[in-house]
Amino acid sequence: MSADIEKLAKIVYDAQINATAISQLSETESFTLEEAYRVQAKSIDMRLDAGEHRVGMKMGFTSRAKMIQMGVDDMIWGRLTNSMLVEDGGEIDFSKYVHPRVEPEIAYLLKSDLEGPVSTMEAWNAVEAIAPAMEIIDSRYENFKFTVEDVVADNSSSSGFVIGQWCFPEIDISNLGMVMEFDGRAVQIGSSAAILGHPARSLATASRMVAEDGEKLSAGDIVMAGGATAAEALYEGVSVRNSVEDLGFCGFGVSK
Amino acid sequence: MSDDAIQKAADWLLEAYQTGKACEPVRDLLPEGDVDAAYAVQEINTERRLAGGARMVGRKIGLTSKLVQKQLGVDRPDFGILFDDMAIPDGEEVDTSSLLAPRVEAEITYVLEKDINFEKPTNSEVINAIAYATPSIEIVDSRVKDWNIKIQDTVADNASAVLYVVGNQKVKLDEFDGRMCGMVMESKGEPVSVGAGAACLGHPINAVRWLAEEMVQRGRPLSAGDVVMSGALGPMVGVEAGQVYEVRINGLGSVRAAFSV
Repeated sequence: MSADIEKLAKIVYDAQINATAISQLSETESFTLEEAYRVQAKSIDMRLDAGEHRVGMKMGFTSRAKMIQMGVDDMIWGRLTNSMLVEDGGEIDFSKYVHPRVEPEIAYLLKSDLEGPVSTMEAWNAVEAIAPAMEIIDSRYENFKFTVEDVVADNSSSSGFVIGQWCFPEIDISNLGMVMEFDGRAVQIGSSAAILGHPARSLATASRMVAEDGEKLSAGDIVMAGGATAAEALYEGVSVRNSVEDLGFCGFGVSK
Repeated sequence: MSDDAIQKAADWLLEAYQTGKACEPVRDLLPEGDVDAAYAVQEINTERRLAGGARMVGRKIGLTSKLVQKQLGVDRPDFGILFDDMAIPDGEEVDTSSLLAPRVEAEITYVLEKDINFEKPTNSEVINAIAYATPSIEIVDSRVKDWNIKIQDTVADNASAVLYVVGNQKVKLDEFDGRMCGMVMESKGEPVSVGAGAACLGHPINAVRWLAEEMVQRGRPLSAGDVVMSGALGPMVGVEAGQVYEVRINGLGSVRAAFSV
């Protein structure tokens, strides 16, 4: 029997909108990864119906270590809407999240469409600009525990993103140092190389994966390449900054 | 503290090094928490190696990551001596069977062009003493069984140093960003360790400054030509026989450590 997509989508939609923790859907429902993506699409449709609009995509599980840890052999992806955008230098309201974490990333802005399987070279050619970025992930599941199907249904935990100044992609982005600081002290240190060995591979993979669910990446879309380090738990009052070698930085604060 | 205990610890470590059989932790022989006693052990074996004809070519700095310091319950780095017979050319195969439980770390190495033989040098003075930087891989190994080490064990054991590979590039300090430079170590095309310059005490030059001061105090000041491995930029990785580990540091280029099957 196939899963009740509409029902599951409503559960994650409500959890996302109200910032409430829910039990894993997989505890009571049986659904496939493909169905999980349909739940995600449906729950985002509900958000679009409520007035949000789609601005791009995010990639997740972009490090092999994390794929192995989660027992999956591919990345996951989620959708970004305008309501998730946190202004660079802005502040987030802690009460609007369940148990948010933040990870340092880089973001792409596309100048042309990408549809279906593309080479890394073609993906790179579609890039208008790149920027230092951070993603706020906030699984709606209790204790941040989930199966891969659960997390995909929950929009791959995406709940917010911050983007610094756009830079022209004329530099080699394969190994840019990244330092994420809380209140001026380094909490995560890594390199863009952690993203599949080269972050451009993440963009090519995004094009392939979204096409499997009938989507495409369009000119003007933002694509978050995926975490370059482990995620760090946010708390009230903390000031967060991610500096990326050669690209600059972005930051935000968490309300007290 | 007893000189006999220090001598005994030095003997245990030397024997382990020569026979390839790891020894018990030497901390049990030394006064608890006495790091100077551990350096005295290291010094005995340094003298022995020098007497045996080895040449001192530099130093390595260890425990430069806040996380590793926390794990060992210390708040500062440590150092070991680099000898000429520990140097492996870039990409040349290392005989894995000669090692106990080797691990690799990616580091920035600095080569000096001036002596630093005065008390409390500043970062600026250290920078002015450096000729160039180059990427490097340190191969660490513990003569203590199963890496069961605390601060005294690793200090006594020459800071777990065993071999090192230094790149052939000469990069001036103003040609790369020591704090922000990305680091990736790859094996079989996959990243196995990633980091950045800031992982080494916030900036690797901070570590070199610490070393320069420490070496003046301990009577072996840094001098022109010395090679200084400044400390890991990412987590250390256990070596698998037969594998090649390539380190790329942004702005510095790459270097390889290859291990025999």
